[in-house]
Amino acid sequence: MRAASEAEVVDIVRGAREHRRTLEILGGGTRRSFGRPTACDDTLDLSGLTGIVTYEPEELILTVKPGTPLDEIEALLAAKNQRLGFEPQDWRALLGSTGTPTIGGAICANADGPAAMRFGRARDHLLGFRAVNGFGEAYKAGGRVVKNVTGFDLPKLMCGAMGTLGPLTELTFRVFPKGPFKIFAAALSPDVLNKVAASPLEATALLHADGRAYVRLEGALAEKTAMLMRFGDFVEADALPGAVLPQPAAPEPPARARLTRAVKAAFDPLGLFNPGRLFEGL
Amino acid sequence: MHLDPVPIVSNVRRAQIVAALKALVPDGVVEDRAGLRAFDGDALSAYRQAPLVCVLPRTKEQVAAVLAFASEEGVPIVPRGAGTSLSGGALPRGDGILLGLGRMNRILGLDIENRSVTVEPGVTNLAITRAVEGHGFYYAPDPSSQIACTIGGNIAENSGGLHCLKYGLTTNNLLAVTLVTMDGDVVELARDDGGYDLLGVVAGSEGLLGVVVEAKVRILRKAPATRTLMAAFQSIPAAGQCVADIIAAGIVPAAMEFMDRRCIEAVEAYCAPGYPRGAEGVLVIDADGVQSEVDDAMARIASIARACGAAVREATDEAERARLWAGRKAAFPAMGRLAPDMLCMDGTIPRRRLPEVLARMGGMADECGLGFCNVFHAGDGNLHPLIIFDAMKEGELERAETFGADILRLCVEVGGVLTGEHGVGVEKRDLMGEMFSDADLAQQQRLKCAFDASGLLNPGKVFPTLSACVEQGHMHVKGGRVPYPHLPRF
Repeated sequence: MRAASEAEVVDIVRGAREHRRTLEILGGGTRRSFGRPTACDDTLDLSGLTGIVTYEPEELILTVKPGTPLDEIEALLAAKNQRLGFEPQDWRALLGSTGTPTIGGAICANADGPAAMRFGRARDHLLGFRAVNGFGEAYKAGGRVVKNVTGFDLPKLMCGAMGTLGPLTELTFRVFPKGPFKIFAAALSPDVLNKVAASPLEATALLHADGRAYVRLEGALAEKTAMLMRFGDFVEADALPGAVLPQPAAPEPPARARLTRAVKAAFDPLGLFNPGRLFEGL
Repeated sequence: MHLDPVPIVSNVRRAQIVAALKALVPDGVVEDRAGLRAFDGDALSAYRQAPLVCVLPRTKEQVAAVLAFASEEGVPIVPRGAGTSLSGGALPRGDGILLGLGRMNRILGLDIENRSVTVEPGVTNLAITRAVEGHGFYYAPDPSSQIACTIGGNIAENSGGLHCLKYGLTTNNLLAVTLVTMDGDVVELARDDGGYDLLGVVAGSEGLLGVVVEAKVRILRKAPATRTLMAAFQSIPAAGQCVADIIAAGIVPAAMEFMDRRCIEAVEAYCAPGYPRGAEGVLVIDADGVQSEVDDAMARIASIARACGAAVREATDEAERARLWAGRKAAFPAMGRLAPDMLCMDGTIPRRRLPEVLARMGGMADECGLGFCNVFHAGDGNLHPLIIFDAMKEGELERAETFGADILRLCVEVGGVLTGEHGVGVEKRDLMGEMFSDADLAQQQRLKCAFDASGLLNPGKVFPTLSACVEQGHMHVKGGRVPYPHLPRF
């Protein structure tokens, strides 16, 4: 079933609730093979729920529909020298999937990139959302400003929830300025990445792959490059190593698992959304 | 504001609770009237309420035992750090236990290599920085009460400070907590621990979801260079434009603070930081980072400010930097000495609406006849209107609260929120409906029920009416007793 508006999502969820039919929530479907599988009665396809709702570069705020392609968002922001600080990743090459990666999918799967170590993961950037819960009610949480402590911080819960708390219908992010950058690589020595991380370089990527350490620097490149050389024989590189998949969630200890089940029930008491996708039996 | 009536607890029942707590925490029960007065409120000073009894545990095991006991006995619990909440988050209940965490104040471990510190909840915000500054590090969130406020309270309120725009709120600097739930379960929650981000939702939950008994926070390397400038404006729209232009230029200042004319006058009379009198507003801006980055940012900020018509003064040494910031940091005491009482409001607005919001606030102030001024974390749109009044004068507290509530409604109307960093507490709970629909609030309350189905943990805070969890589709049965036995069930 394909929804093109929040009202249609509400209708579909109410129907599923009435007939006790489970829903696989899908965006572009590019991350479907990541994590645990789910076997559902129907699909709820959100790829038609697309578009930029508002983009206010001077406010550093972006509101989009969940089915909006990542490419479209990146191009929009890049035109104003801005970006999503958690650097959402395209996993198609890793998963051998086809389709269009969407922002909603990136949030649900916590598919963030190297800049997350500097600016924080998806959860540090999602300021607010609209969604439909398992009671068939549309609701909102969070806000459209960077600094907000009004009510519980439900946006955090949505990041990495694999859609098990319900379909998202609108997402609000803070965005960050983007400047010139350079990538460097050196032979990996013990502690080199830790030392760079503890330095004032404010690196926006720190990775290692195939015995090499990679560092991405932004802003004041001349001074920062000189400082970086103190940590190793770094040379400029063309690109960072490719994305890697995060570890799927490990089984939880009993007290924690009780909380997890209670949280799931608070959003989806009948277990309609993506059953089993995050944890067995959840 | 309407406060809940104080439920009556019999002397026999109170004596039983006191005795049980003494068995659990032998040297940490405060029961005498004089002793309890020290715990009868927080920094929302208009409201006072002595707790039934206060317990001061020293270990997480004691916290878990107290919560398990309260849960079994159906006694409300109010957790408290240093009591610096500006929203009444730690306001006690006359029928409840005040759980003071101030004695749990040990720093448990420094891990400089991995840039983290593990502490007990009663450690003060500033003590974390003091513990690591010798290594060249600091803890970034810096609420103005940082000398006194505790990390446990900071986590509950998701505290901010001057440097949020660049370095984030408490939640963005929190790596892990050990949480005791109302049932007495001890749960470890960490960033990236898989599953739901329960750590993320505990931060800023105002003590309604659990009690933090241990926290691991991220520390940052102190920036090698920091420079400060002040820009004085002849009009508020010009100052607003300057803020927008700095952000649009891709600069992220370490701090960017705005003060209006009334605030400038108050702080000049108080400590003479050297802000130009007669200016409609000043911005004090910090840039930090490596030297060339800071120099570049400062040059661009100065040029943007001048283009907006500002008179710009850059601090040339540490003493002048300190002086420029002294004015901003003295805003609260400077206003506070102009009247016996002060309300500090805390809304956030989209930055571009600043001129309009300040103009409309000025109109409201004239109407209600109370003194006020505005300080503003301009980088992230967080407004702190300070309203001064005399609670001893008939009707002034009510007028101040009405003015404050109108300000927050205005913040929501222009696309902002009720609170940027002080929390909802009791102060703003009746305004939640301005920002959230019934469906929005019901979903938040279901989360509350998931963590605390008994509703005993910090009741009366955040939500205008906390509906029983059974109405939210939960039925919590513990020890054979259903909660809210007085409710008819069908």
